[in-house]
Amino acid sequence: MLTIDDLTVRYRTLAGEVEALSSVSLFTRKGSTLALVGESGSGKSTIALAAMGLLPAEAQVAGGRVLVGDDDILAMTPAARRRLRGTRVSLVFQDPFSVLNPSLPIGSQVGETLVYHRGLSRAEARARAIALLDEVGIVDPAAVARRYPHELSGGMRQRALIAGALAAEPELLILDEPTTALDVTIEAQILKLLETLRAKRGLTMLFITHNLGVVKRIADEIAVLYAGQVVEHGHTSEVLRSPMHPYTKGLLAAIPRIGARKEHLAAIPGRLPDLRDPPAGCRFQSRCPFATPDSALPQALLDLGDRWVRCSSALRLRDTIWPDDPPTPRATEQKREIGKPLVEAEGLSKSFGRRAGLFGWLSPSRQPTETYAVSNVSVSIAAGEVLGLVGESGSGKTTLGRTLLRLIEPTSGTIRIAGETVTDRPQRALKPMRRAAQIVFQNPDSSLNPRKTVRELIGRPIARFRLAARADIPARIDALLDLVRLPRHYADRYPHQMSGGEKQRIGIARALATEPRFIVCDEPVSALDVSVQAAIINLLADLRDRLSVAYLFISHDISVVAHLADRVAVMHRGEIVEIGPAEAIMESPQHPYTRRLLDAVPRLDFP
Amino acid sequence: MPPEAAARAPLSPQLQAGLIIVGVIVLLGILAPWIAPHPWDTISMRTRFLPPNATYWLGTDEYGRDVLSRLLIGTRLSLAMGLGATAISLAIGVPIGLAAGYFRGWVDEALMRAADVLMAVPPIMLGLLFLAVTPPALWKTALAVGLVYIPQIARLARSVTLSLANEEFIQAARARAEGASYILFREILPNAWPPLIVEASLRVSYAILLGSALSFLGLGAQPPSSDWGLMIAEARSFLDRAPWIALAPGFAMCLLVIGINLLGDGARERLDPRLKSRIAA
Repeated sequence: MLTIDDLTVRYRTLAGEVEALSSVSLFTRKGSTLALVGESGSGKSTIALAAMGLLPAEAQVAGGRVLVGDDDILAMTPAARRRLRGTRVSLVFQDPFSVLNPSLPIGSQVGETLVYHRGLSRAEARARAIALLDEVGIVDPAAVARRYPHELSGGMRQRALIAGALAAEPELLILDEPTTALDVTIEAQILKLLETLRAKRGLTMLFITHNLGVVKRIADEIAVLYAGQVVEHGHTSEVLRSPMHPYTKGLLAAIPRIGARKEHLAAIPGRLPDLRDPPAGCRFQSRCPFATPDSALPQALLDLGDRWVRCSSALRLRDTIWPDDPPTPRATEQKREIGKPLVEAEGLSKSFGRRAGLFGWLSPSRQPTETYAVSNVSVSIAAGEVLGLVGESGSGKTTLGRTLLRLIEPTSGTIRIAGETVTDRPQRALKPMRRAAQIVFQNPDSSLNPRKTVRELIGRPIARFRLAARADIPARIDALLDLVRLPRHYADRYPHQMSGGEKQRIGIARALATEPRFIVCDEPVSALDVSVQAAIINLLADLRDRLSVAYLFISHDISVVAHLADRVAVMHRGEIVEIGPAEAIMESPQHPYTRRLLDAVPRLDFP
Repeated sequence: MPPEAAARAPLSPQLQAGLIIVGVIVLLGILAPWIAPHPWDTISMRTRFLPPNATYWLGTDEYGRDVLSRLLIGTRLSLAMGLGATAISLAIGVPIGLAAGYFRGWVDEALMRAADVLMAVPPIMLGLLFLAVTPPALWKTALAVGLVYIPQIARLARSVTLSLANEEFIQAARARAEGASYILFREILPNAWPPLIVEASLRVSYAILLGSALSFLGLGAQPPSSDWGLMIAEARSFLDRAPWIALAPGFAMCLLVIGINLLGDGARERLDPRLKSRIAA
């Protein structure tokens, strides 16, 4: 159905020409689903755009063909390409929050293609749009068609987008990370919907994702991309069960799995090669533990019967598994000691009210309203303990984390940190608590001031709390960089000169600079690629062991939390609905919401 | 994209033109006392109202003074007026905007409603109001013009601060008990500079125009000073006989304002991170 043949795409950027795709060849059979998997920078979105004929102006196709059926998209006139998009190929984008036009009702956005490409009247398109909304499982489609995007939840918007993509009656549906922005329970529903639609309509799907659990659930075939090349292509179950390319092996080993708790995750060292000047040989060579002198030679995609692998050692490595990251030796070999309660919160609530405001008396209808983001939460975290906090977006996880540190003022309740009550003091009297309790943020781009060097970023907390004499601060900075395993010369770098994982390490170093006893980790790995994520999780686990800091580890990814946490708290609509030892919650969840959440997680293990 | 790469990227034609025009005018202003062909303030009745000729390139005025020399000396006054006034509005407007954007609540309400009131009055009226109560002098005009433009600068600083205040690095600063002044001036301000610099450069040209307008109305530079606005005001009576006396400073002002605007717009394109990421993406 879709054949990509030897496609090479380069992007012109100010910093030079980047080869985003190098001789990529792929194909999907009619009625099957091909998953494209890769980390950021692997070129997977470029493939989606090429398959739609939507490459931006600065992209230059250096060679190759993209065939839909027998027609080459790249050779078409823009008008023919537009016709193809309106009839045979449709695209569903990642972010259902920004793709829909906020000022048009859902119904007319779903039916838009029909008016434009099929010449239907407005009324006919409307009727068809309602039928489509019904088909994607939207309750009361006629009413929803009249609504505007902001009135719909994320899951409903994604359903509406899928309905819009189906309006063209396409044969090929391209989905670019369609569930990444959604909560797991919604993700599970959307995947089920796609499965049903495919069976019913005989759709061919190209499904782009970085989540291997999702791939396992939905795809027949998988193509793994690395640095603009396909490194492995085969049947999903076989590739996931017995990966042959070292990169696929590493990727699979780096993912934490529920029920298979390990001390350390395997991590892939190093980073992507510079695609302005890609290495002539294997592009994974510098990060590969199995590299041989042969790896320096150009690698061809070997046809191994049921599978294509771009590695000359593929057959030799068939049964070799990715080596485990040697765990750093512990200071003490005995079981980690969990001490007395370090952080205690009782009856903690935070409500966000819409206050009447200065001119509120002018509009009596706008009564002040209150919503509870955190409602009557009591938790305690012991010294050296990791409390995992899971929940879906809007459940109040972040608010709880920040309220504990009084970055957000609680509405009611008491917090004690290290034996001292911190809720009854003014902000300026919180200095001892601020030193003892730190925070690591989700977004490494936003959490570091872009105008400061690493030296300033992690030196400031030391100076602020006078933890070292001025002359000793450089030594402290070096020690902190060692602790988070970054080279010492990074002290002179600015945030934009580092990768996402490196920035996150600086964020952790900054939190550690005050020698805290408690750190709130607010989704510290959600913005990172899988291979980097594993390294950061290992680092956090290691620091906990060596410095016996306690964490409140917030994440929407239950597998990550299950891997790291001693106890897990499940949050739902501002309340903690279940709390207990991590194993117990994963194995026998008690609360129906916890069960729902666990059922929805796309798992990788095979029965 | 690293800034080094941006620095190496070629300058846009717009920015080049702006740099050249402003650069030449600034240079002429600095060198004015040495390159002016004639004394700018010597009255000579025999050379009154001479049209442009080989000796007096831009002609002479009603007191027989060389227009070109007066123009060159006047460049300094106009630039000083523009830069001085802008410096004043930055010095007061930026802290106001930072505070309003960071503290929100009643601080924000109070400061911004006050700014609204000031912005509701036309700048020239406001300038007149400041100047009407004291005897005129150039520095007072600069001060008045600077005060008039505080609300605009404060508004911009506030809007930049509003978006920066949500960044996680501000939360990180609060989590290590940093004081408000550290957060405002050490964390937020360095990131707020690019749009502020662009706005300030455009404000320089407005300030020059407003300053000249006030001088024209007799509330700025006083005779025999050769401020451009004052030159135009004095030449007004002889517009039918000797148009060059008014045209020269008018044209010079026009050129300077165009140059500064080109510079500001060019700098905006270069410094605006959103535009930059669009090129790099």
